[in-house]
Amino acid sequence: MNSNSNSSNNQKKRNFQIEAFKHKVVVDPKYPEKTWKILEHAIQEIYNHNASGLSFEELYRNAYNMVLHKFGEKLYTGLVSSMTYHLKEMSKSIETAQGGLFLEELNRKWIDHNKALQMIRDILMYMDRTFIPGNHKTPVHELGLNLWRDNIVHSSKVQTRLLNTLLELILRERTGEVINRGLMRNIIKMLMDLGPLVYQEDFEKPFLEVSADFYRVESQKFIECCDCGDYLKKAERRLNEEIERVSHYLDGKSEAKITSVVEKEMIANHMLRLVHMENSGLVNMLLDDKYEDLGRMYNLFRRVPNGLSTIRDVMTSHLRDTGKQLVTDLERVKDPVEFVQCLLNERDKYDKVISSAFNNDKTFQNALNSSFEFFINLNPRSPEFISLFVDDKLRKGLKGVSEEDVEIVLDKVMMLFRYLHEKDVFEKYYKQHLAKRLLSGKTVSDDAERSLIVKLKTECGYQFTSKLEGMFTDMKTSQDTMQGFYTNHGAELGDSPTLVVQVLTTGSWPTQPTVTCNLPAEMSALCEKFRSYYLGTHTGRRLSWQTNMGTADLKATFGKGQKHELNVSTYQMCVLMLFNNADRLSYKEIEQATEIPSSDLKRCLQSLACVKGKNVLRKEPMSKDIGEEDAFFVNEKFTSKFYKVKIGTVVAQKESEPEKQETRQRVEEDRKPQIEAAIVRIMKSRRVLDHNNIITEVTKQLQSRFLANPGEIKKRIESLIERDFLERDNADRRLYRYLA
Amino acid sequence: MGIQKDRVRLNVGGRIFETTATTLAIAGRNSFFGAMFDDDWNLQPGTATDHLIDRNPDCFAVLLDLLRTGELYIPSNIPEKLLYREALFYGLLDHVRSAKWGPFDGNRLRLSRSMTGRAPGDGTAIRAGPDGGCCVAHGSMVHVYDWMLDEHPAINLDYQRVNDAGWIDSDSIVISACERLGRGDGGMGLFSASTGELRYKFNVTHDDQVKSYTAGALSFSSDDKIFSSCKGRSNEYGIGVWDQTTGKQIDFFYEPPGWSLGDADKLQWLHGTNCLLVATLFPRKDNCYISLLDFREKKMVWSWSDIGAPVYDERLLDERRVRDAIAMEDTSSICVVNEYEDLGFMDLRSTGGSVRWSSRSRLMKGKMPDEPCYPKLALHEGQLFSSMNDSISVFCGPDWVLTSRLRRSYGGSICDFSIGGDRLFALHSEENVFDIWETPPPPIM
Repeated sequence: MNSNSNSSNNQKKRNFQIEAFKHKVVVDPKYPEKTWKILEHAIQEIYNHNASGLSFEELYRNAYNMVLHKFGEKLYTGLVSSMTYHLKEMSKSIETAQGGLFLEELNRKWIDHNKALQMIRDILMYMDRTFIPGNHKTPVHELGLNLWRDNIVHSSKVQTRLLNTLLELILRERTGEVINRGLMRNIIKMLMDLGPLVYQEDFEKPFLEVSADFYRVESQKFIECCDCGDYLKKAERRLNEEIERVSHYLDGKSEAKITSVVEKEMIANHMLRLVHMENSGLVNMLLDDKYEDLGRMYNLFRRVPNGLSTIRDVMTSHLRDTGKQLVTDLERVKDPVEFVQCLLNERDKYDKVISSAFNNDKTFQNALNSSFEFFINLNPRSPEFISLFVDDKLRKGLKGVSEEDVEIVLDKVMMLFRYLHEKDVFEKYYKQHLAKRLLSGKTVSDDAERSLIVKLKTECGYQFTSKLEGMFTDMKTSQDTMQGFYTNHGAELGDSPTLVVQVLTTGSWPTQPTVTCNLPAEMSALCEKFRSYYLGTHTGRRLSWQTNMGTADLKATFGKGQKHELNVSTYQMCVLMLFNNADRLSYKEIEQATEIPSSDLKRCLQSLACVKGKNVLRKEPMSKDIGEEDAFFVNEKFTSKFYKVKIGTVVAQKESEPEKQETRQRVEEDRKPQIEAAIVRIMKSRRVLDHNNIITEVTKQLQSRFLANPGEIKKRIESLIERDFLERDNADRRLYRYLA
Repeated sequence: MGIQKDRVRLNVGGRIFETTATTLAIAGRNSFFGAMFDDDWNLQPGTATDHLIDRNPDCFAVLLDLLRTGELYIPSNIPEKLLYREALFYGLLDHVRSAKWGPFDGNRLRLSRSMTGRAPGDGTAIRAGPDGGCCVAHGSMVHVYDWMLDEHPAINLDYQRVNDAGWIDSDSIVISACERLGRGDGGMGLFSASTGELRYKFNVTHDDQVKSYTAGALSFSSDDKIFSSCKGRSNEYGIGVWDQTTGKQIDFFYEPPGWSLGDADKLQWLHGTNCLLVATLFPRKDNCYISLLDFREKKMVWSWSDIGAPVYDERLLDERRVRDAIAMEDTSSICVVNEYEDLGFMDLRSTGGSVRWSSRSRLMKGKMPDEPCYPKLALHEGQLFSSMNDSISVFCGPDWVLTSRLRRSYGGSICDFSIGGDRLFALHSEENVFDIWETPPPPIM
């Protein structure tokens, strides 16, 4: 525990020393010197490649005896000076080697020294085992390496020359010359054998410095004259060359170091310049679909700090700009289907870029998603357009398309749907469009319809789709009801018109409260029969007729006996039926007889009398608009190539401005109870909460449906306070309390 | 079959031996024979034709048989020491050592030798080295024996009391000692087993100041850490942690109020749970404190103490006092022992439980020797050992059934024992006698 311990121990021993017991082992005083001479001579013979005449057993025994008789120290120091002498001789011959022979001579001597060292170690094995550990000496093999290091590698005439030779050879290889890699490997291996510190200090550090200079200059040259793609190709090649160099003749641990030098000099230092390079930078690569270049950029940039975030930022801002242009382009907004198709194309493009060039990087996918979310919501009509796109696809777009492809289209639409903030607006439109499809029997594939409903359900939950599903159920039950009606009453109805009623559950459908028009007598009698049948089987229900939504097929015979089947709306049917009993009817008379709301009536008459080729009525005076004073006749000259004639109603596919506002208003109305419900749910569990936290929580809860407006939330809170669901805290006005 | 190509003829001290290079190759590269042959075990061209080896032929015969069979038989006419010296010449000492005794099994142990010490007074500790040597601490001296039971220069601590010792490797011993007031000595040092020299002194630093301290119990972890219980002058009590390779203090777990760490009698590193068991026991303190420390989170993850345990009967008090403790990771439990060698168990998975005593040795009561030593526990490869009076009991199996008893009446009670290097060393309290127990080499069939 302290350094006195040994001396005090010796002190103690000395007190008990008895001279007579001290043995004198060494009889021959010349013995150590004689024995050492034999060993020294042997070492010399070994270095002179003349070992075959030596007796191993004799030399081993001599070394053993020296150690045994306490001459280990003499043996060891003798070894050091003898080996040092031979190494100095070697050093001279290495120094005199000319030019390219220098490395070869060094390598040859290194091999010689290693062989000699092995033999010397064998002879002195006993010293290695017993004398060296107890006396804090360096083992023979390590000693041999250390002496080589000090006398050769670190000798003033070799050290710099060796380093310069190595660096020059590497430079020559970089400039395209072929060098002796085997010799390089041997010399580098020698430095590594001398210990990691020698390799690092005598070679690796200067090598890295020189390489940094080299690549700094080269990258500057390249960036002045190459475009981005070429530059990246060159950088990639250099990087691979260095990795290959390490595998051929450097220490494996150098790979990370040299690649980081190349990365820093060739990529990190020029990152921004490369990305923004005019006509060939990242944006151009994206525009021109240069997947290979993009992939190369990704793989190189990922190696340096902030590399990927640089690419990502540029891509995001480019994507946002183009997206913003797209959704605010007035031309595009005219065609909703085209609008959505453009969005889908854009997404497909970037999906491909990310999957084929950016290694499906999650962070890039996130950037893509957030960009889409950003610009899709810039246009408030996006929900409507997406629904219209689906409507278009489900009406006709998917005809002759395989089931898998339908799924793919629907999945893509769902992708866009996910970006929407106002999912409830989408729901509103979707409901309207679905209703039209169902009632007019225009839907192409029931499977596709249901598949989309399932997707919406998994995305937004049961609540979101319950009404949509209700619509499908209504359609099914209506079919059954009609079947029941005709089985019961079929006989007594005789040859009266065929009635098809679709019973729609109030609330599930986007119905408007409308005035029922006057149906023709034969129809209203039939309807009455149905009403009594229906109310007879279902008690406690109320039926009202949505005459504005129905259709009818009429058989008509015109002047020269030409027969046609006319496919018309219920309103149009009511009008046409009037002409069974009259040749001429004025607008006023029609309005009186049918009681159709005037705006609807005008549209209806317009489509009957003013559309060329479908004008089954004739109007006086002939003009495009309907006037209150107009008179109508059956157009006896009506002809058509087809037996069946569909007479459409003049409607805008897209919503008109007032309609749009109405939808908007309805959406806002619907949101109120949802916001209130959310507030109550939150307050019920939290009891007391301050204003800001309520806003955050409510927004979070409703996120999957729409982005709640803080002002609206505030209004709802106030309304709830009025109705005694909540109260303000007396002490802190910002706090709200839940009243049970 | 052809003629054996690798025949070797050796003349050892005048006697001719014929063997094969294959047999000699068993000696390995790092031996006389390894140097004599080249890498393909052909004779080196430099060696003379008749291969005279100027050594004792009788010993060579024994060693050649060792290479041939892997077993060691020393005829009675050859002194062991002479054989060892010859083995050292050929570089075969490790072969001899590993053939001398078999892999450790607590139920097959034989007393191999008893060594008589000469130190006055009681021994403190005996510690087995990794390759069959041991060290014995008493007072301020630590005697070191190699596996041949040759004594090496003793480690002298300048008359300070040694508290514990432990082997880091076959040539390095860490010793903990009491602080000497006013001198700044004491603490913990690393010594050479072969020469007894101090190689390194471990410091304790508090608030960037090196402090003198008393080091107590020691434990080493498999990831090269040294743990020691420490008592500093200015109440810096706790467990210090040092790195074996750098020698630097890397951590210090301060003793929480109302608990005891710095006075600990026993430390045990638990490899599986990455925790240190610390036990402070009667009579060093009036109460027993056993805890498990997690150094990564600086947390005491398990603890038990007998403070406030109800005492129904004064006579029962001694029975309930824990004298040694050992953690058994395989069963997630801690085994404790009282002074009558009753074993008790605690569950490591729940803290605050009580000891389940399994009264096994009530017969002991009333038969205590005049100078009893408190029982000690050790665990080795699923076998539990406990010392009591002059014998050591071996317990095995899931219920810790007593399976063997090692007894030797000479030298008085056993005050400490230690298992290592496939040997068990037991130190007796009187006259520093210690016994070496070995498992015989495996049977021939």
